[in-house]
Amino acid sequence: MANYRCPMCRKICSAHLDLARHYLGQTDKKHKEWLKTQGLSYATLIKAQVTEFGNKGYQALADVLKKTATEVEEG
Amino acid sequence: MKRELNIVVNGESYNFFIEPKTLLVQVIREMLGMKGTHQACDSSSCAACTVIVDGKAVKSCSILALQVNGKEVTTIEGLADGTNLHPIQQAFIDNWAFQCGFCTSGQIMAAKAFLDENPDPTREEIQMQMDGHICRCTGHNMINEAIRDAAKRLQARDAAKRLPAQKSLQSQKWAQTAKSGKGA
Amino acid sequence: MGADGEVREGGIMTEYSIIGKPTPNVDGPAKVTGEAAYTIDMTLPNMLYGKLLRSPYPHAKILSIDTSKAEEFPGVKIVITGKDTPGGKWGLWRRFRELADQQALATDKVRFIGDPVAAVAATTEEIAEKALDLIEVEYEPLPGVFDPIEAIKDDAPMVHEDFPSNINATRHIEWGNVDEGFAQADYVREDRYVLEAAHPCAMEVHNTLASYDKGTGRLTVWTSTGSPYFVQQNLAEALKMREGDVRVIKPHVGGHYGGKNSTMPDCVNAAILSMKTGRPVKIVFNRDEEFTTTEHRTAQHIALKLGLKKDGTIVAFEAKAITNGGAFTGLGATTLFLTGTFITMPYRIPNYRYDGVRTYTNIVWGTSIRGFGAVPSKYCAETQLDRAAKDLGIDPLEIRRINAVAPGYEAPGQYKFESCGIQPCIEKMAVRVKEKWPKLEKDEGIGYCGFAYMSGGIFNWIDTPYAYSSAHVKVNFDGTVDLYSQAADVGQGHNTVAAMICAEELGIGIEDIRLHMGDTAHAYTDLGAWGSRETLMNGNAIKDAAGQIKQKLIDIARLKLGENIAYDLVAKNKRVYLELRPERGLSYYDLVKDAIRANDGVPLTGTGHYTPHNKGMISPAYGMGIMAIKAKVDRETGHVDAQDVLVVHDSGQIINPLGARGQVEGSIHMGLGYGLCEEMPMDQGMLLNPEFVDYKILRTRDMPQIEILDVPTYEPNGPFGAKEAAEATIAPAAPALANAVYQAVGAEFFSNVLKPEKVLKAIKEKEQKDKATPKAKGKGK
Repeated sequence: MANYRCPMCRKICSAHLDLARHYLGQTDKKHKEWLKTQGLSYATLIKAQVTEFGNKGYQALADVLKKTATEVEEG
Repeated sequence: MKRELNIVVNGESYNFFIEPKTLLVQVIREMLGMKGTHQACDSSSCAACTVIVDGKAVKSCSILALQVNGKEVTTIEGLADGTNLHPIQQAFIDNWAFQCGFCTSGQIMAAKAFLDENPDPTREEIQMQMDGHICRCTGHNMINEAIRDAAKRLQARDAAKRLPAQKSLQSQKWAQTAKSGKGA
Repeated sequence: MGADGEVREGGIMTEYSIIGKPTPNVDGPAKVTGEAAYTIDMTLPNMLYGKLLRSPYPHAKILSIDTSKAEEFPGVKIVITGKDTPGGKWGLWRRFRELADQQALATDKVRFIGDPVAAVAATTEEIAEKALDLIEVEYEPLPGVFDPIEAIKDDAPMVHEDFPSNINATRHIEWGNVDEGFAQADYVREDRYVLEAAHPCAMEVHNTLASYDKGTGRLTVWTSTGSPYFVQQNLAEALKMREGDVRVIKPHVGGHYGGKNSTMPDCVNAAILSMKTGRPVKIVFNRDEEFTTTEHRTAQHIALKLGLKKDGTIVAFEAKAITNGGAFTGLGATTLFLTGTFITMPYRIPNYRYDGVRTYTNIVWGTSIRGFGAVPSKYCAETQLDRAAKDLGIDPLEIRRINAVAPGYEAPGQYKFESCGIQPCIEKMAVRVKEKWPKLEKDEGIGYCGFAYMSGGIFNWIDTPYAYSSAHVKVNFDGTVDLYSQAADVGQGHNTVAAMICAEELGIGIEDIRLHMGDTAHAYTDLGAWGSRETLMNGNAIKDAAGQIKQKLIDIARLKLGENIAYDLVAKNKRVYLELRPERGLSYYDLVKDAIRANDGVPLTGTGHYTPHNKGMISPAYGMGIMAIKAKVDRETGHVDAQDVLVVHDSGQIINPLGARGQVEGSIHMGLGYGLCEEMPMDQGMLLNPEFVDYKILRTRDMPQIEILDVPTYEPNGPFGAKEAAEATIAPAAPALANAVYQAVGAEFFSNVLKPEKVLKAIKEKEQKDKATPKAKGKGK
């Protein structure tokens, strides 16, 4: 089973959605800045997540992480 | 210009020279150092500062000290008989009628003045009388039960002394108003 | 005991001597005689009076401050501004340094009306106040933001730099698969709510007396607080001192309700003024300052989506919350967290998702007021549940029974109920409601609300290195006991509970115990009175400490009695004796003397502590139950009469039935206020009702009778089986009342505070809705 590493720290998750959830829980500058490089904004993602039912914010980030997160071997 | 104030507080005579604008509560708390009377608002809304002046419950924050010149004032410190608590105080303890205790002095002094006038009040009459007091801790019901309990204790004490319990004219008027139901 | 409230008898497994018996308040004589000293009553020799100059703008740059005229005013000893303070920032969410956002005096800009910019110390309060008028401040007003929906927009003014879109904190909780859950549901509804701010309204305002010792460089502070430890920590950070050089003493406190957790400018500035003048300084807020500049219950926008099977079983639940954080963090971020947790209790929810965001805005900050997120969240969830029940044709009590949790229930990764009496509570409620209210008159209705609440929090955002609670017990040669802990009685009756637990464990009487509580010089840390933690957490620490001493007495008794090692010894009724042969025992007083002699003359001591481990994310234990309110609606005036309240409550083993009843009734008073009349209307950040004349709270004639029934359980994580008793009961009052109105006249509400005009409007809307469509899916306002 594949695992994916957070672009900005050592956190590893088995699903992109979980990784997105981890990512948006980080409030340091480093994490927020990387989002900008991907054409995203922390505030916009959070707003999407909290103002609409469904996982809108996390899903949008997960879609980007699918293309950018490094795959890591299990074990 | 300062004016002379002669006042009896808890049975002791005092003589001060004060600014006319001095409130009774300031004399009690700051000049006499009696801190049992509390202030919890600045708009005469809460009645925490209630003391007894010549038998009547009075908000000490809403009366100038000079207005009670020559009168007798009783504060919470003057209620107990030495180390013997007054029955109202004991009733408050036994009925858990306070929690933080900050409004308690005012509640007890108001209850004292009320029960002196109306020794056998109904629950509605107690509610009517105590409606001016803010309490944020108890939800009020346990205070009313304590006052009802205090009334019984005082009646028992007075019966032992063979004093009749009489309703004053004022309390008869309250009874009429109280029957019209709860308000706010 | 009064006739109107039922005495709650505790104890299901063991017959206790003291636990579970109605016990008068140990502080009773002091409080009924006026002898109890509150901070506001205290003075020290050579004391100065301090006052704070506050910003008239909700958001503005400070261009200049000229204090010269004030400094020259006779009687003024010192005037300070932000640049004169040590400059330390502090906050209760210390684990995240960027959230330590409070400071003694504003420096570059002000963030709410009332944000302090200067402080004065003078020989009288009157002089200090006059001096404030002489301080000249030049402001450049900035655009402000007051509503969280506005604050979160991209172009909103930033309250704190480095927090774009004013996002102060976020919280996500998820378990199961919510989207699949909704797909399986037979019935789905969405509702949106606006919940108002409310003020705790403690009778004793915030106030502090600070005294700095020039010789030792140590600071002593007396303050009206719920947590001397929080104040000690925050002061040390604000003043850049060592914690150990700051001593905080909590005298009697005239009310707290969660509004005195954050360390406030009265405290920090009194300390700074004392340090600079070398004299004690006292700062007392007036009632206007209390309303306008101290913490209140966080206003929130909440959206809920609920999915049910047609038999009423919940299959999916989703909640979104946007909270009005105000200018600082305080414990508001914890409220955000708990909003998303308590909203699920006490029901089985297989699939759940919560997203919350707390925004900074230019008002006073919202925080941890009694109920801590349960109050707004249960209002929404339980009124929504009633509407769903109606649409599905299910009785409102029945739908709660169907979904109620059972012992051992676990919300994955979040919380677990070990003791859990909600189902017997509902059964008892069903029986009692029929007896109590067999027939309803016209426009009368019965509303229900289920509830559960924590017994102290697991979380450690305060980042303490200490055990969450500790206590020290010392037994003297004559058998008297000194009990030391920093735990705080703020009126809820913890001093009495502490004495009862210690006495029960040692087998002695409360009269044998002297309390030394709420003083950080007693280095037995307790995190304070919030989240209903004292009974369970401090109680465990006290029981641990006393238990160590009990063991020493038992060891000596065993030696002296020489009985078979298999026999158990108990400490009770001032003796230590064989449990199976009570006549064979020794006097507690004699054993104490023996134990001290055997210990080279050193008094008996025990130091106990408690920190929860492996108890999920929220709390080790939960009080819970169900509330019913009967109400009558006046269709002409819109007035709602809360006639009668019935609560069936599982608080584990009740320690003191008198205190528990007092707390339940007090919390219902506050909860009903939240539902009927308490609000904080603001205009551009200015509070419009900063006095009791206009901030309405329920008076004695407004209070209904309250009947409390108890379902005793045994909580394994609590001392003698105890857990929280009565913060839980604040949350259900307003929703039960709203549900009673809904059941009575069909009016629906999407905000709290059922003012008559709002009720009339809702009745009209119902009438129009009935004419238009027979059954419409709910949509919010």
